[in-house]
Amino acid sequence: MKGLKARWPVAVWLLFVGICILLVSRIQIGADLNAFLPATPTPAQRLLTEQLRDGMVSRLILVGIEGGTATHRAAASRELAHRLRDEPDFLIVNNGETGSLDRDQAFLVDNRYLLSSAVTPERFTPEGLRSSLENALQLLGSPAGAMVKGIIPRDPSGEVLHLLEGMSGQSQPHTEEGVWMSRENPRALLILQTAAAGYDIDAQQQAVAIINKRFAEVVQSAGVAELQLRLSGPGVFSVEARDNIESISFNFSIITALLVSGLMLLVYRSWAVLAISLLPVVSGALAGIAAVSMGYGVVFGATLGFGITLIGEAVDYAIYFFTHLSPGRPASQALEKIWPTIRLGVLTTICGFAPMLLADFPGLAQLGLFSVVGLIVAVMVARWVLPNLVFAGFAPVAPTMLGSRVIALIAKAPRLRPLLLIALVAALVSIALHRGPVWSEQLASLFPLSVEKQQLDQSMRDDLGAPDVRYLIVASSRERDAVIELSEALGAQLDQMVGDALLTGYDTPARYLPSLKTQQARQAALPEEAELRASLRQALVGLPFRDDLFEPFLQQVAAARSQPLLTPESMRGTNAGLQTESLLARYDDGWRAMLPLRGVTDPDTIRKTFERADGSVVLLDMKTESDALYDSYVREAVALSIIGVLAIFILLFISLRSVRRVATVLLPLAAAVVITLAILLAGGQQLLLFHLVGMLLAVAIGTNYALFFDRESNAEKHDEDTRLTMVSLLVANVSTVMAFGMLALSGVPVLTSIGLTVALGAFLSLLFSAVLMGDRVAR
Amino acid sequence: MLCTAQAIAGEAQETAFWTMDELMQEMAQVKSSSATFTERKYLAMLKEPLKSSGTLEYTAPGRFEKITLQPKRESMVLDGDRLEVENGSRKRVLSLQEFPEIWALVESIRSTLAGDMQTLARFYVFTLEGQRKHWQLKLLPRDTRMKNMVTAIEISGSDGQIVTIEIREAGGDYSVMKISKGGK
Repeated sequence: MKGLKARWPVAVWLLFVGICILLVSRIQIGADLNAFLPATPTPAQRLLTEQLRDGMVSRLILVGIEGGTATHRAAASRELAHRLRDEPDFLIVNNGETGSLDRDQAFLVDNRYLLSSAVTPERFTPEGLRSSLENALQLLGSPAGAMVKGIIPRDPSGEVLHLLEGMSGQSQPHTEEGVWMSRENPRALLILQTAAAGYDIDAQQQAVAIINKRFAEVVQSAGVAELQLRLSGPGVFSVEARDNIESISFNFSIITALLVSGLMLLVYRSWAVLAISLLPVVSGALAGIAAVSMGYGVVFGATLGFGITLIGEAVDYAIYFFTHLSPGRPASQALEKIWPTIRLGVLTTICGFAPMLLADFPGLAQLGLFSVVGLIVAVMVARWVLPNLVFAGFAPVAPTMLGSRVIALIAKAPRLRPLLLIALVAALVSIALHRGPVWSEQLASLFPLSVEKQQLDQSMRDDLGAPDVRYLIVASSRERDAVIELSEALGAQLDQMVGDALLTGYDTPARYLPSLKTQQARQAALPEEAELRASLRQALVGLPFRDDLFEPFLQQVAAARSQPLLTPESMRGTNAGLQTESLLARYDDGWRAMLPLRGVTDPDTIRKTFERADGSVVLLDMKTESDALYDSYVREAVALSIIGVLAIFILLFISLRSVRRVATVLLPLAAAVVITLAILLAGGQQLLLFHLVGMLLAVAIGTNYALFFDRESNAEKHDEDTRLTMVSLLVANVSTVMAFGMLALSGVPVLTSIGLTVALGAFLSLLFSAVLMGDRVAR
Repeated sequence: MLCTAQAIAGEAQETAFWTMDELMQEMAQVKSSSATFTERKYLAMLKEPLKSSGTLEYTAPGRFEKITLQPKRESMVLDGDRLEVENGSRKRVLSLQEFPEIWALVESIRSTLAGDMQTLARFYVFTLEGQRKHWQLKLLPRDTRMKNMVTAIEISGSDGQIVTIEIREAGGDYSVMKISKGGK
């Protein structure tokens, strides 16, 4: 009975782990982007967030086809585009083929009297018609005459031409063999827009998979094996980043587990120890992920990435436990003596990470929750579960043997004090003299891409004439038609500005879908057939046009007078409809129209003209806004870290009740942080969130070291436990440095930053604790 | 030495068959020229031909100007990929890339003037007939879309000088431009 009673923690733990596994197996991994978008944004931030999450820019996929001859690439581009046009996952598939423009032109021709802004009653008076006809005559005489003569009998007033002119100004990519080709590189190009929003990584992944599959079919049926597919764009990057983080997290966990296990085996010489040494870490990680998944619904890839770093501190608990096992006492009491110090260490870490829970950025908040829950679970497992899992009487031999050597080393450490002082001063000077930004200033730095990927993306964007939207006018209104009316008003002003060379062009949903009011007004401007016929006859006097030439015009105007008005529904499935759809979106609070601007030269004047106090019209500068967003996010992370540090101060004062002791505990940590920072900056790195997180983790781990040193240097007598504690610190430190050193070598920018910071910070914390407190511990 | 060789070659060519290479070389030697033109365009939709006249100016390798003075002033300046058309108060700038048909059309004249056989061959299948003093270059568009608009272009000339350009459009419309050397 007693045995059973003593083992209840194991039962509870098993049940708990079971539940966690169940929860973790069902987690949804979210796009990292969302992790760094604030939960309570400003209006501009919210618009930016919407754009980054599901705006048309986020749905862009750039496709390059390389290899083979230009003819092969052109054929593959055509074939791929053809296949993708049948896929409902893509709204727009464009490869520069003229065929795709034909459909647009048919739409323009059929709906010209509803779409053309030139349709006014004056245009159909004898004078208006006369002027149109004279223009038409001149056009017929020009080299373009052969192109336009087909439409003149239907459209002598030139509405189609007027519409086409409104659309020009868009710089067209270079065309070869009838499709878009890069000028600089042997590459055919396509632009796709996915139906799914950019933040929906699962859907983006599916879209990428479809492209790959269709491309494989194209290559197979063409029999040209050397063709290669290159993809780029926000969605593609998110998919790759997620795969990357997932696979690296997994591989890193395995490698670290192997390394730490090897260390355990070396030190403790026991397979049993090996088997259970990772239990606190694994339980903590599971609990952390489960907690985040329950609290937030989705877990961000980055949280998982950070999560694996929990190994850094949680594995230490197992090490403390095993080192303190000795034949003389039951396993359950191994940690009894040092428990207050461990507990204080855990509390310190919690103080450091808990403020993150308050973060407005879900990414930071998740990190806080993950760390706090993970650590509490890990330490509890080490304290109450592990003792029940080791067989009675097990005690490692090596720690005892290592003990005296470690103490001897520690005794010598204080000799390094002058060196520490010099290093500290040098580090402070180097930080003070540091030039260039300390913090990386771009939102993009949160999602570091390899240089190769960045170059590919830039090169494809250059090839395609940069659909790299920076300036966007966002108009909002409750009703769909009202927002289109607003776009029309904005368009009129923008036309003026294009004339004044403030910008080169713009897109608007009103281009293909004028408001109902406007369409009705245009329809009303068309005269009755008899009246038009009379006016035309008058206008034609003295002009060389054949009689009856404009019969089609008369008929089509008559038909247009009762033509059904354009609605998004009636346009569905057409190219124009799809483009309109991408510029018009419905949100919880109403409708938004997006008017991307091209070739902006004077954003300030444009802003002043358009910005309305009620926020219904906003000129969104995606770059400035996203940098500002990143800035506010860095500031929040730093502020919360400072709160965490203050909380640690207070906690230490309450626990240690001595200014001197608090100072001796914090001094080695401060020195470690300063020197680590100096090394990172001197190495040319710009600090990212990941460095900050790494620093927090290093401080959390280092606090444990410093607290143990403090405990022993204030103990009345030193015994075997002192030596064991010191050995456990060394083993813990070696495992941390090993694990994070591996991470630093991973080659993934995010993980390298964390790995380097923690490995360096933790090692220095231990070294400096020994340097500053070693004499009292080893006396 | 070189001069004599050329003179002898010139005499020989006076009567001999005149090749495309030779024509192109001859054209390429002209670095700039200016001329006046009169054009008549016969269109099925018009009761009478459209008449126009004006000046032409060419500067090697890529600049070509057509200034129409009658019946209405209109200027058309082609420079590299840029085509600038100005009539009355309106000025339009277009990139030839965007309008492949117009590109093909203007290239028939510009490439011939520049002696750029490669570009010419890109848009047209060509045949050259006649002699040095009286040659006819016939261009047939390669592109199907272009063929739907223009069926053939015939350029005739003498030495490095174009005398007429006849453009035959699908459906029977056609235009004839007569060029006479003037100015500089």
